[in-house]
Amino acid sequence: MSAKIKENNYDQQTVLVCCGTGCTANGGRKVYEAFVEKVKDHTEWKVQPILKSTGCNGWCEKGPLVRIMPRDITYCSVTPKDVDEIINKTLLEGSLVKRLLYRDPVTKEHLSSHHQTDFYRKQHKVALRNIGEIDPGRIEDYIERGGYQALALALHNMSGQEVIDAVKASGLRGRGGGGFPTGVKWQSCKDAPGQPKYIICNGDEGDPGAFMDRSIMEGDPHTVIEGMILGAYAVGASQGFIYVRDEYDLAVQYLGKAIEDARSHGYLGPNILNSGFSFDIEIVRGGGAFVCGEETALIASIEGRTGEPKDKYIFPSEKGLWGQPTVINNVETWANVPVIILHGADSFASIGTSGSKGTKVFSLVGKVVNTGLVEVPMGTTLREIIFEIGGGVLKKRKFKAVQTGGPSGGCIPEELLDLPIDFDSLTQAGSMMGSGGLIVMDDHTCMVEVARYYVNFLAGESCGKCTPCREGIRALLEILTRICNGEGRPEDVEMLEEISTTMQEASLCALGRTAPNPVLSTLRYFRDEYLAHIEQHKCPAGVCRNLTTFYIDADACTGCGLCKKQCSVDAIQGEKKETHVIDESLCIRCGECFRNCAFNAVKIR
Amino acid sequence: MKVKINGQELEAREGETILELCLRHDIPIPHLCYHPAFGGQGACRMCLVELKEPGRVNNRLVASCTYPIHSSVEVTTESERVHRLRRNIVMLLARRASQNPWMKELVEQYGAPSLPPVQTEPADCILCGLCNHACEKMGKTAIWSMFRGIEKRIATPYDEAADECMGCAACAQICPTQAIKVEEDAATRTIWNKKFELVACRRCGKNFATREQIEYMRESSGYEVDELCDHCRKLTLAQNVRHYSR
Amino acid sequence: MQINPQEYAEASRYESLIKSYPGRPQYILAIMQDLQKQYNYLPRLALTMISSHVGVPVSKIYAMASFYKAFSLTPKGRFVFRVCDGTACHIKGSETLLDQLYQHLGIKAGQTTEDGQFSLETVNCLGACALAPVVVVNGKVYGKVKPGDLEEIIRECGGQCHVS
Repeated sequence: MSAKIKENNYDQQTVLVCCGTGCTANGGRKVYEAFVEKVKDHTEWKVQPILKSTGCNGWCEKGPLVRIMPRDITYCSVTPKDVDEIINKTLLEGSLVKRLLYRDPVTKEHLSSHHQTDFYRKQHKVALRNIGEIDPGRIEDYIERGGYQALALALHNMSGQEVIDAVKASGLRGRGGGGFPTGVKWQSCKDAPGQPKYIICNGDEGDPGAFMDRSIMEGDPHTVIEGMILGAYAVGASQGFIYVRDEYDLAVQYLGKAIEDARSHGYLGPNILNSGFSFDIEIVRGGGAFVCGEETALIASIEGRTGEPKDKYIFPSEKGLWGQPTVINNVETWANVPVIILHGADSFASIGTSGSKGTKVFSLVGKVVNTGLVEVPMGTTLREIIFEIGGGVLKKRKFKAVQTGGPSGGCIPEELLDLPIDFDSLTQAGSMMGSGGLIVMDDHTCMVEVARYYVNFLAGESCGKCTPCREGIRALLEILTRICNGEGRPEDVEMLEEISTTMQEASLCALGRTAPNPVLSTLRYFRDEYLAHIEQHKCPAGVCRNLTTFYIDADACTGCGLCKKQCSVDAIQGEKKETHVIDESLCIRCGECFRNCAFNAVKIR
Repeated sequence: MKVKINGQELEAREGETILELCLRHDIPIPHLCYHPAFGGQGACRMCLVELKEPGRVNNRLVASCTYPIHSSVEVTTESERVHRLRRNIVMLLARRASQNPWMKELVEQYGAPSLPPVQTEPADCILCGLCNHACEKMGKTAIWSMFRGIEKRIATPYDEAADECMGCAACAQICPTQAIKVEEDAATRTIWNKKFELVACRRCGKNFATREQIEYMRESSGYEVDELCDHCRKLTLAQNVRHYSR
Repeated sequence: MQINPQEYAEASRYESLIKSYPGRPQYILAIMQDLQKQYNYLPRLALTMISSHVGVPVSKIYAMASFYKAFSLTPKGRFVFRVCDGTACHIKGSETLLDQLYQHLGIKAGQTTEDGQFSLETVNCLGACALAPVVVVNGKVYGKVKPGDLEEIIRECGGQCHVS
């Protein structure tokens, strides 16, 4: 790739500054402000560039990202200090700032656009198609990229039933976790007697390690709104609700503005686009409860009660919000709907596997080189996602497992990395799709402790209504904590299994029925590690503190001093270039030295 | 709607749940959180039964107290699978009320293994929720289930005396494990951190209600309340009937 | 209920906020969100007022306040340390950060220091997994935090570290 562009032939340039959550935390907003400030200072513009702050580009690891269109240049890890140079060199002179380009770790080549990187090349953007390309605060940007055309098409040329038929034919399944066929759900709501009917967007993303819904709501709010209007038209609903986690400030803000703008453009409210169809949307800010991702709990929450689920022997599509027929879909599902209507069910169904159509957005996090959001066709293997897109395990450590599906999912071992992922294959492997968290774990992650972590999370997030979930979680947590503390008993493994299967069969809602998955999947694939804790009183990963003592191997230590610098309690002593020593009485076993030693000289006793 | 319960064909009423149908025909299904006065909650999960729905191959487990009969299903109320789940539910619940005689009976009945006891607040509470529903039925809702997850418990707001509580003790009467403590002396009753003056029956002299209960009855009925206990009220009523029918 | 002048003044502060929503149960959450934002906790009197405004018993209002994690029933400290305990942060050492904060401030998650300066909370995934482990102090995000960084963050807030 040549690093020099000969002439500035571009009249209208656009600068896209990523202000997604990751980039903002890294200072993206300040970079945007610096551009706004400094572009004004220059007078020599042929045409002044347009500045846009966009939603999350997904490549959070390299943020803040700055993109320059139409030349499609991507700068990584930009700080406000770099802004002058970008303006002078790239926007005015037309040359590249080489040091801000991404450098391929293998070929060492500088890549001028993020589209050339492995991270993006393998992706296929449908739900995320606009994110990073548009200013989420401007409805015009969305319209410019084909927004609301699906709505116009449906309202003027399709019946509600035809919309449902298209969604059915597309094979779209709910992206929130269960993978229920969306068209079937809509049909049931349409056929159910009773008016009014309701549409709900579930934006109560609560899986620890998943942030795709947040990115969509923040980066492309109109696609969610358009999807909901299409759904409302299909089933004959007049009112919609978007239930968002209140912690997602920016999402609440952008969705609110998007709803207002959609109203003023005639896409929401009475008599939409003169079709005679009326529909409006209200935002409900969730109170912070993982269980509210469950449909009946979410309904209870919108109605103004504690989010306790009910038995779903009659589906919400027949009797939901205030006893009325209600369709609930999650953010990513809604984001796919306009694409299906506009480009046709066939084009959507051509992506993916036989049972799972389209793409899926994953948040790839944990011990992986490229953390961020990725959207890939269903059926892509875990290996492709983690090693090709994700760039492999951080610090070239050994891959141990990938956790999918959050607290309802499970840990998948290396043997299954070539599994093409879709709803059904993950369930068969004892995990689930969930909302799409992919958490990569290396050999420094203790699988028993991971199971304990998820169960502990659920202990605070279960609603506590039904016996198997509440008391089952309590019992699992006691046993797992005991094992991590080195007090495990031989009979514990069997008891974990007995309680887990009872929870799966007897619990009231999906939270309780899937709660034991992290335990059962780690027992299935990493039973040895449980036994090492119980029988040998050892934590092979060096995580469980009662079972771990760190020491420095004198033969391997080079005396580089890194561990000494990392140690927050000054427990490591040693002169430069001499063997270092850990004072066990001071060591808090945080494992920083163990994880960071470049020579694997820190060992576990 | 015709359904089969354990092979026996029965006629279900409109909107009836499996549990209600079974109870009506004296087919026993264990249940802790269901009460005829406020229906099923689906919380304790003791009433799980196996269900075969038309068009489905596999049996499904459902809570009989919340499953409304809407198709000609086949139900099995006792099976090895169901028994194992009930045994484990008893095992998990028994920890909350390990010394309670009623609970001990359940443990014996199901052969449930024992787990170490768990301290609950109030002690021995199994969170069946009957008390707060009874309180709601009384028109007060002074108590409700607070917090969530393994911290969930029945309480008044801030664990303090609630304005709404009238000391009727309906909650304590319905509690299967006697977890709600009612302290009484000659003139007062203390429950849920609130002390009430007791009113004696003007005929037999026995304490029969709190001052707040009588006040509540007067307010909701709009009539002055004759301060008689249940027994004496019936006696007086019977005497009156005799008097008029003469 | 008897209301003293002090309570009356307090009540009139909450009233306009509560009355800005229609008196229906579906707005309880929204009212609570606003109160929490403005006062950093849900004042007791406000819960009673919500109860009469929407016609739902106080016990159920309190149940909601105690059920949803966004709400606090006691006032929070001036500086609220929110340690993300999402999975990505967890496997990158958020637990050690909590331990260190306990060493420095003497409080565990969910507690506030006696002087009302600091509160410590754990939060579910903040969606900033690329920066794991993450600590947020009054809205300011600190990414890739190491145990040794905490003392400095506490000092930035004008706090003193206990001898650990």
